Amino acid sequence: MTHTALIIAAALAVPAAAGAQAVNDAQIASIVVTANQVDIDAGKLAAQRASKPEVKQFGQLMVTDHTGVNKAAVDLATKLKVTPQDNPTSQSLKAGGDKNIANLKTLKGAAFDKAYVDQEVAYHTAVLDAVDKTLIPNASNADLKALLVKVRPAFVAHLEHAKQIQASLGGAQK
Amino acid sequence: MTPAWRRGAVIALWAIVVAAAAGAGAMLVRTPKPVTHTVTIDGTSYKPARLAVHVGDTVVWENKDIIPHTATAKGGAFDSKMLATGATFRFIVKTKGGSDYACLYHPTMTGRIDAE
Repeated sequence: MTHTALIIAAALAVPAAAGAQAVNDAQIASIVVTANQVDIDAGKLAAQRASKPEVKQFGQLMVTDHTGVNKAAVDLATKLKVTPQDNPTSQSLKAGGDKNIANLKTLKGAAFDKAYVDQEVAYHTAVLDAVDKTLIPNASNADLKALLVKVRPAFVAHLEHAKQIQASLGGAQK
Repeated sequence: MTPAWRRGAVIALWAIVVAAAAGAGAMLVRTPKPVTHTVTIDGTSYKPARLAVHVGDTVVWENKDIIPHTATAKGGAFDSKMLATGATFRFIVKTKGGSDYACLYHPTMTGRIDAE
């Protein structure tokens, strides 16, 4: 796992360690929107700068899918009159995402592809862990919980897809 | 009534009964009227994931998910291309046999159509 991925994984793990009442619905909404935006930003960069076509396509897929998830999340928050509330997890996610982008911008060609795909594997692993251990268990509104349950299989698919590309590129970066 | 005539009448009656039975049998094995089946795409999965159909039936995939998907047959029999949220794709089953299909974007999403 890359250094940035570790930071993001640690950010997502905080509420899980802090207990069941760690996050409320407004904070969950903020975590969901931020987590999606972080992956959209990295995906946009990969769609432009990746060298292998499958990595470019994966980047574009992340932009499309996470934009779709964010639209649904924002629509739901608006309907429920919930204002996403900034919190330590969303702040750490944003900081980790910015750091990841800064690192990726220093890389080119195969090194970029490998760093991006390794990051995507680590990121989706961490996000799924947070969805299962923190976000779904803590969501009190039934519609918010249902949205999280509905999008979970897409994140599993992204993780599997990223792992397939990672294997085709020669395995995880050391 | 002479015995010969009676025997002829019995044979004729049996011929009618057998013909009627054969006709009814033919009606029973006739291909069923084509129907339309719907596969709902939601939560990055096909529901139902496995579908039994007859040749001539129509299968409609409807994307009720919040992200785009495809329904793409591995053997090339059909390909919905990208289905945005709310989009549908229709396919008329032309041949017997099984067709495994998947989403081009999400490899964990798989389905199958078995046509008789």
